[in-house]
Amino acid sequence: MSIIYVLIPIAMLFVLIAVGVFFWAVRSEQFDDLDRQSLSILFDEDTKQVKPAEEQDPQP
Amino acid sequence: MAISQCFHCAEPIAAVDSFSTFIDGEHRPMCCPGCQAVAQAIVDAGLTSYYRYRSEPASRQQALVPEALKGFSAYDLPEVQQDFVHSQNGLEEVTLTVDGISCAACAWLIEHKLKQMPGVKQAMVNSTTQRALIKWLPDQLKLSNILNEINRIGYHAAPFQLDSEELASSRNSRRFLLRLGLAGFATMQVMMFALALYAGYFTDLETEFRDYFRWVSLIFAAPVVFYSAQPFYFSALRALLSGRLNMDVSVSIAICGAYIASCVATIQGTGEVYFESVSMFTFFLLLGRYFEQSARRKASVSASNLHKLVPLTAVRLTNGTPEEIPAKRLVLNDIILVKPGEAIAADGKVISGVSGVNEAMLTGEQHPVLKRPAEQVYAGTINLEQPLEIQVSALGQDQLVAEIMRLQEFAANSRPAIAILADKLARYFSATILTIATITFLIWHYFISPEDAFWITLSVLVATCPCALALATPTAVTCATGLFTRLGIISRTPGVFEKLPQIDTVLFDKTGTLTNGNVTIDGIRLFDEYTEAEVLEFAAALEYGSLHPIAKAFSPYLSSSLKANAIRHFVGEGIEGVIEQKVFRIGNAAFCNCSPVDAKRQWIYLSCDGKLIAAYALEDKLRADAKQTVDELKREGFGLAIASGDNSRHVLEVAESLGIEKVHANLKPADKLALISELQAHHKVAMFGDGINDAPVLAAAHVSVAMGSGTALAKNNADLILLGDHLHRFTQAVAIAKRTRRIIRQNLAWALGYNLLVLPLAVTGHVVPYVAAIGMSASSLIVVSNSLRLLRTKL
Repeated sequence: MSIIYVLIPIAMLFVLIAVGVFFWAVRSEQFDDLDRQSLSILFDEDTKQVKPAEEQDPQP
Repeated sequence: MAISQCFHCAEPIAAVDSFSTFIDGEHRPMCCPGCQAVAQAIVDAGLTSYYRYRSEPASRQQALVPEALKGFSAYDLPEVQQDFVHSQNGLEEVTLTVDGISCAACAWLIEHKLKQMPGVKQAMVNSTTQRALIKWLPDQLKLSNILNEINRIGYHAAPFQLDSEELASSRNSRRFLLRLGLAGFATMQVMMFALALYAGYFTDLETEFRDYFRWVSLIFAAPVVFYSAQPFYFSALRALLSGRLNMDVSVSIAICGAYIASCVATIQGTGEVYFESVSMFTFFLLLGRYFEQSARRKASVSASNLHKLVPLTAVRLTNGTPEEIPAKRLVLNDIILVKPGEAIAADGKVISGVSGVNEAMLTGEQHPVLKRPAEQVYAGTINLEQPLEIQVSALGQDQLVAEIMRLQEFAANSRPAIAILADKLARYFSATILTIATITFLIWHYFISPEDAFWITLSVLVATCPCALALATPTAVTCATGLFTRLGIISRTPGVFEKLPQIDTVLFDKTGTLTNGNVTIDGIRLFDEYTEAEVLEFAAALEYGSLHPIAKAFSPYLSSSLKANAIRHFVGEGIEGVIEQKVFRIGNAAFCNCSPVDAKRQWIYLSCDGKLIAAYALEDKLRADAKQTVDELKREGFGLAIASGDNSRHVLEVAESLGIEKVHANLKPADKLALISELQAHHKVAMFGDGINDAPVLAAAHVSVAMGSGTALAKNNADLILLGDHLHRFTQAVAIAKRTRRIIRQNLAWALGYNLLVLPLAVTGHVVPYVAAIGMSASSLIVVSNSLRLLRTKL
């Protein structure tokens, strides 16, 4: 049972990391438009096909 | 006449020669050159997956008016830019409001189209607020290029400056989300340890582990109490400082009291802890507030998008010489020149020129209003036919548009009636509980057993904690609002849920509500050897480029081969032009030198070299679901009536085809108001309307409903807005409101009942603290899940 003295602090650490990620996500405005984000996964596959033809100009 | 649907905008196609675009290996039909050009631009950019994933058809493309495109160059002037373009690390940054975004696919389309432009560093489009944030390299690209590019794929963008108020509110809502998320994470953890502790009551949990779990819970609950719950403390403090009690006072006392008591218990190793109740309670309350706030924010965002209606530049006449200047530099009594097709930059009086002005943005009426010298014009309205010289009479915050925006913001920030009611209830409730708790403490302390006094008082506070009561209305309203949003109904005032179920009479405005508000051609009479198709092409060629609403009716028949030259507009009369060396005129009977064919309908005439060749009957079509809605409402037992400012014949026709018996036609705004106050004496009336003339009536009605396509002012006065213009959503809204009211009553009855039941037990010391905690959590959970039943409503 005394293993929980080690495991629980580790779990707390994970929660801390999760909270950190959540704060970062909110601060980087990922929650501002939920409709948009939920659909973006559909589109992204397609843009890869387009990119080589259309977006090959690396900007300085 | 309709053959098929336009692939781009889903409007029926009635064109004589068809337009098409090659998309995904097939020739897709297009309704007009506008849609064709837009679709082609999308295909050329390799963005066809837009068509695959969009959930709404695009908005219809007006034939691209060259004047409108040229207008963008004004945005490149440094003086104009300084207001809304910000430079950072050599990059320019601008926020644009974009018209015509109907779904997430649009946002994707614009983003990717822009990212393909060399020089654009970042493009982020938000489909909820209909705004785009763009960063670009100024030496490679001009702002007007960006605006043009957005225009080419069928959207209309305008620069936009965030006002400080909105910035603050968006920062606020982000902070709210942080609090909510943190409370959520912490609650999950604390609940986990709480389960172990609950289990410890029944099995034998060693004191060592019990204390360890308690300390861990204490740490996890701390950020919830000290950070997440802050809004409640501030609100409670504000209330106390102004000498009032509100729900947040008892909420704050419950949170702080339970947390402090739990800390004491943890440190001393005796008594009970309530960390899980504290965290969960805070989380649920925050959740309700968050949804309420984000709904209100949506309304205020759309209000500030109105800013773009007023153009940023104006042409000032100094001693007769025109000079383009930023609109901000205009001063009172300046003379400005407004060319046809341009928006007017400031409120003012016409001093020379006669022209039709489209005031649809204020009135919803697409028909131009004839403006003569000495008449008032408003900023943001569009001059249609002839150049106008205007003397500026109001600027900035004094303009009518600014007034409308202020009204909207005010409405968005005012407290909903139901929340006020809940607050009032809470005030008495908190006062009662606090008194009872104090009395309990005193009695136990002095008369029964001093050592139990604190714990019994705490169990009174916890058991009667107002959480269920506090959650009863917000959770139900939140769920119902969510349901509304899913159906495309916006409730601007949460009081709607109380008021809608009381309605027994529905009053309709005609134009734009029962009908589409768009003129279409409903019949043609021929007087010469020309065929129907030919006369339509002639008319379309003459009307090409005109901004008059009638021109829109002809635009589907535009042929690419026929051009009209030497076009002259006659204000309020018609258009003259030369096609194949013949002088054609389209307009009213007098203009075409003929007698009216039939007084029953609205006719427009076409003459060739002075001889009448055709007449077109124009009609404003009924909305597709008007009949269905009227039938449904009748079945539900509502009294129905039409109140219209229109002349009686057309109104009667509409009423007859829908089966509405009571018709009031030819009403001025004041008459409408009189009518509605007469009705309100005996009935609860819901009013449908869409124009500025309806605004006072909408404000007077018990519940007012505006169509999504209605004007800003109408929407501003409406309780409900039906997006997507589906009338029958109203009947659904009534059904949801009835359900919501039922659920709120159940919630309140349960919460009050539970508290009343547990209070005497707690006061007499019969409620063990952990039972109090479980009871409190259970009563909140029951209220929340009862409200969640709303989301499962089938419609």
